[in-house]
Amino acid sequence: MLRIESLCVSYGDAAALTDVSLDVADGELLAVIGPNGAGKTTLVNAVAGLLPARAGTIRLAGENVTGLPPRALADRGLALIPEGRRLFTTMTVEENLDIGCYRPAARGHRAEGLARVYDMFPILAQRRRQIAGTLSGGQQQMVAIARALMARPRLLLIDEPSLGLAPIIIAQVFEIIAAIHKSGVSILLIEQNATRALAVARRGCVLDCGALVATGTPAELDARGDIRAAYLGGGH
Amino acid sequence: MISATLLGQSVLSGLFSGCLYALLGLGLTLSWRYLRIINLAHFALIFLAAYIAYWMNSAYGFHPLLTCLAMIPAFFALGVAQQLLFIRFKVGEFASVIVTFGLTIIVESLIQWIWSADFVRMETHLARGSLEIGKLLAPWDELFMCAVAISVCVATWACLNFTWLGKALRASLDNPDIAASFGVPNRALALLVSGAAASFAAIGGVFVALLYTLTPSSIYSWFGVVLATVLLGGLGSPLGAIAAGLLIGVGEAMTMAVVAPSWAPIAPFTLLILILVLWPERI
Repeated sequence: MLRIESLCVSYGDAAALTDVSLDVADGELLAVIGPNGAGKTTLVNAVAGLLPARAGTIRLAGENVTGLPPRALADRGLALIPEGRRLFTTMTVEENLDIGCYRPAARGHRAEGLARVYDMFPILAQRRRQIAGTLSGGQQQMVAIARALMARPRLLLIDEPSLGLAPIIIAQVFEIIAAIHKSGVSILLIEQNATRALAVARRGCVLDCGALVATGTPAELDARGDIRAAYLGGGH
Repeated sequence: MISATLLGQSVLSGLFSGCLYALLGLGLTLSWRYLRIINLAHFALIFLAAYIAYWMNSAYGFHPLLTCLAMIPAFFALGVAQQLLFIRFKVGEFASVIVTFGLTIIVESLIQWIWSADFVRMETHLARGSLEIGKLLAPWDELFMCAVAISVCVATWACLNFTWLGKALRASLDNPDIAASFGVPNRALALLVSGAAASFAAIGGVFVALLYTLTPSSIYSWFGVVLATVLLGGLGSPLGAIAAGLLIGVGEAMTMAVVAPSWAPIAPFTLLILILVLWPERI
């Protein structure tokens, strides 16, 4: 579904990602973990077309999409649940969801999409006319997830979904991510909370200082003493 | 003590002016909020449209509404071209004031060069005479202008709130990157807003020509009152522009009737300052 080859991204002269290669198979959930500042969000933004790649290629379902604008990627089935939610905070919950299905291809499925996400998040159905910026953090995260689902994505990029949420809400969010994955959507999940992320993923990558340091199943990563000590501990 | 008829007639003429302020301010308020461009050249476009309507009528006998219909697409194209240039040269909110003020001066000189600095007046009416409401008189031209102003503002409001286009525009203002990643065409929307704003200038200009005597330098006499309408109404709010226009128009007319005509310009700014002081979150 997604194949990244030797991706390099920089902010001015500062390299944020160097020579990162990874792939997400059809229907796979791949977790990318790593500490703050490792380049995780840079990776998501580069895949979403929000940051230019300095070198390397990004392929979506076999097609080279490096350098395409965000809209073109949306047309190819990519949707983003960004770090910090980044809702349209002055618009209502339902208007946020409407933008999720803005593309003509998704617009025709608005009614069934709304039924699906309101079924998944009944609280959003109650609050559909509320201004999104006035919701609690957990509810805003639900809107961000629902907005991305309205786009009927084939590949979902999820960036730090647990950021700033209470533990009980985090547990719910990860249950929902697992359910979305089960419905057949390929997912690239970026998460600082390694334990949570590896609990829902078949495979994980560890990113640090802009480079991949390890890739493998959760068990393989856990078996490596250095990785475990440096990235999987911390008591999350 | 002034008579009830004079008072009533003042309120009525205030309402008429108010509608015109809203019509002239609509394009300005949209580009200020959605493009972050304080487009003083909007006034220049209004006057360009007014002079074209006057000229097509006096020289060739074209009905002003016909000229208006022809100008709407032409001005739309002008608006798009202006926005393309602003995007190309990355003109920001504050630079836009200077750049568009410069454009206004250029257009004023152009108008003066073509049509001279003399006062001119279009000799046509949409309909002669007035509607009589008791002792009050409401000229048909003014009534028609109010109907157009209110319809255009209400239609714009409905478009912003209830259509895919309006939602996309608000999303694009709120968070352009994320909007783009859901397929919202930010750039095309910006061009559309700029084009629509310029089309509103064409419509407003035709009514300025119908209702007022024109001279190039009177472009500037509209700045204060229309900008006050836009600020008071809330940036980007078509219904706010109508409410603010009516408030300012009636305020002006009452000041004229009760105090003296020369005091009228004080009304819009007193209202504006009062509301800013009492209700600072308005802007």
